[in-house]
Amino acid sequence: MLHRIDDRLIHGQVVVGWGRPLGVGFIALVDDTVAASDWEQELYRMGVPPEMTLYFADVATAEREHPKWESDSRPGIVLTPDIGTMARLAASVPVTEVNLGGIHHAPGRTQRLQYVFLTPEEEQALRDLAERGVKIFAQDVPGGKPVELGDLL
Amino acid sequence: MTRIHVPFMTRLVTWLRLFAVQGSWNYEILLGNGIGFCAEPALRLLPGGRGGDKYRRALARQSRYFNAHPYLAAVAVGALTRAELEEVDPAKIERFRTALAGPLGSVGDRLVWSGWLPLCSLLALGAYGVGGSAGLVVALFLIVYNVGHVALRAWGLKVGFSQGTEVAKSLSTPLLRRSPEWIDRAGALLAGIAVPTAVERAVGIGGEVSAVAIGAVLIGGVVLARIPNTSVGWRLALGILSIIVLYAVLA
Repeated sequence: MLHRIDDRLIHGQVVVGWGRPLGVGFIALVDDTVAASDWEQELYRMGVPPEMTLYFADVATAEREHPKWESDSRPGIVLTPDIGTMARLAASVPVTEVNLGGIHHAPGRTQRLQYVFLTPEEEQALRDLAERGVKIFAQDVPGGKPVELGDLL
Repeated sequence: MTRIHVPFMTRLVTWLRLFAVQGSWNYEILLGNGIGFCAEPALRLLPGGRGGDKYRRALARQSRYFNAHPYLAAVAVGALTRAELEEVDPAKIERFRTALAGPLGSVGDRLVWSGWLPLCSLLALGAYGVGGSAGLVVALFLIVYNVGHVALRAWGLKVGFSQGTEVAKSLSTPLLRRSPEWIDRAGALLAGIAVPTAVERAVGIGGEVSAVAIGAVLIGGVVLARIPNTSVGWRLALGILSIIVLYAVLA
């Protein structure tokens, strides 16, 4: 199961880029705001092909459901929109690897890669995650070159 | 609230601007400037007109970071412009904008990049296989492919303009959700016809193109596609095969 941080959530790189080669059967979208918003869920559902299951969860629900996702025989992706959400999830469930798939330009962020822009606080949050033993790597698509956190910051 | 009517000429100009939606694409805000550029003519209809406070704020909002498929960005331009004209709460527009981007990218990638484009390529390859001339093969590809994306942009803009923030309902129709699968199937059928006939014709041209070379390219492509678990192998094999076919057509 791939744990990915991507502020675009469901999009082509996730559904086609990772979904096809990995044969992804489900995507768990973990976001407190989206989990409480029907119209946003309706939009995200549109981006997922009929053969893929899409779960919506806030962090509390994700903590409960995580073991079930982990034991699912199908390959899956756990997707969060930001580092903070992934860090909260990783604090209570076992996460061994985190893929930085896209954190885009916003005021206060510095460019680290073409698809990764970080504020100093976000960089610290990533270092904290790594210190807890989580392997962090940036890679937008499976064909792209993975960049380790040490080379990123 | 009265619904602002978007005149035909404004719709037409917006649609024409959509062809340049990627013109200022960059890694910082991706399609952002393009969305602002396309939405601009209709935003002039806001109270205060061009240069007015509402116009400036809306234009600034629509020019921020945005990512979607360039053809389906038409849906976003229409829906976001409608939301701006209805003066929907800016915070809701921001969330709508975020939620719209990814799914449009995903649908577009499945529908166009891994559906329509390969299908049209296979159609052209098939035309070559059954004896089409170089001009016919190229014209067939260009006409069929372009009719598809021009129509998709027009449909997207129309749906977006009419539905605004309710646009998800039109996009979740079985037709749009299932069509990538149907295009895939049609593509598989066409591949079955096009690849052998095209290879047979290419091999038949003098001794310059050997069956062994084409066979090696196809087998190499399959092997490459299997090993790194990506589509690079397929792309490479199809690319080389296209060059051989192109050479054979021109020879």
